[in-house]
Amino acid sequence: MKLKVYSDRLSQPVRAVLIFCKVNGIEFEEVRVDLSKREHFSPEFSEINPMNQLPAIVDGEFKLFESHAILIYLASSYPEVADHWYPADVFKRSKIHSVLDWRHSNLRRGPVTIVQNTVLAPMFCRPFNPEGAAEGEKLLSAALSKIESFWLEGNGPFLLSANQPSIADLSLVCEIMQLELLDEADRNRLLSPYKKVQQWIENTRNATNPHFDEVHKSLKEIKEQLQK
Amino acid sequence: MVLKVYADRMSQPSRAVIIFCKMNGINYEEIKVHISKGQHLTSEFAEINPMKQLPAIIDGRFKLFESHAILIYLACAFPGVSDHWYPADVSRRSRIHSVLDWHHSNLRRGAAPYVFNTTIAPVLGRPLNPQAAAEAETILTSSLSKLESFWLKGNGRFLLGGNQPSIADLSLVCEIMQLEVLDEKDRARLLDPHKKVQQWIENTRNATSPHFDEVHKVLMKAKERLQYQRLKAAKNEGGSDMKKPLPSRM
Repeated sequence: MKLKVYSDRLSQPVRAVLIFCKVNGIEFEEVRVDLSKREHFSPEFSEINPMNQLPAIVDGEFKLFESHAILIYLASSYPEVADHWYPADVFKRSKIHSVLDWRHSNLRRGPVTIVQNTVLAPMFCRPFNPEGAAEGEKLLSAALSKIESFWLEGNGPFLLSANQPSIADLSLVCEIMQLELLDEADRNRLLSPYKKVQQWIENTRNATNPHFDEVHKSLKEIKEQLQK
Repeated sequence: MVLKVYADRMSQPSRAVIIFCKMNGINYEEIKVHISKGQHLTSEFAEINPMKQLPAIIDGRFKLFESHAILIYLACAFPGVSDHWYPADVSRRSRIHSVLDWHHSNLRRGAAPYVFNTTIAPVLGRPLNPQAAAEAETILTSSLSKLESFWLKGNGRFLLGGNQPSIADLSLVCEIMQLEVLDEKDRARLLDPHKKVQQWIENTRNATSPHFDEVHKVLMKAKERLQYQRLKAAKNEGGSDMKKPLPSRM
């Protein structure tokens, strides 16, 4: 029975899991769960993930949710996955855990808050909320500053001075890519102070292309629809 | 060079790391960093952890922060740590990762700000924030329900149907213990509906005895002080009401 990945490409953590599978040649079936139609609240999907969130996977009889847990599971279970994604070395691995944990309380809230209070508000039946968006921008800037000055310290093209990407790079870059839904001017305003961050996004994209661009196509399509 | 653990026992994740070390006989030096005195904001501590948060560790030359990352590192790097804390089995381990991740955006996101904005803020020179408290309470009650109905499903004494504790049990129970400093009525209101949660807290406490109680002593002292202050405030209010004339309704 093939691995099933429950997905909506609008979701940042979903994209990280999809790109990871594709880059590593992990065979899977993508099962679409449309967030805008609230399909994640259906009784069928609640059986898969009682938290009603994406992504979720089913591998044989094994169900799992939370994207970091999924990425770690896939890296550990599929022998074709190269070591740099989730190194066996306990020191490197621990640093990856620390940035993944940091992401939850720091980076995650920024882009989500901005986007859900502005461009995606109508899709989720919420009012435009410029105050909420401003809060989100503050969170985002604080997080991007920390990535620029600390997580990208050193000379490596990737987080933690690594020369090859890890699951942390994929997870965090997909988070920041959510800003693609914004106006070009807004996105540039938010990202332009951070040169290392911009380069790192590009490095991660190049290291995982063509899959990165292919998986992110839906964001562009959604943006075009929203602009109509 | 012995492991250094930078901690404040008022910090929930600090307590989880300390209890874990004690339970597993890991030799360490506890370096107290007092949050209430702003010691985590000093430039010295920023050298240890630029995010200025607790806990943090230094093992030889290796520095690490984020309590889940620390617990996993200790479980992997120190011999003699029993498998049940962080199982080698990939499926069991992945499930532990999923509850640890869920914790960040749910239990932690509810419990910590709720306690802070109803009780602890003044101790740190900050105002109480009822709106933030109300938002946090929604997340907290939802998280406690999810613990009761999903994470503690089945007959195991611990999370994920386990019969022995993992790092997830330690992390989440230490978080919920922070509710001890709340008004007793408040705490009861939040926890009484959840019998499994209460039993699980007790199971985790027993499984990590006597270290659990010893490490929580600081929190329990804070609880006593806050209860005393509440009683004093209530008495004063009652006393002054009797002296003040009632406002006229004319």
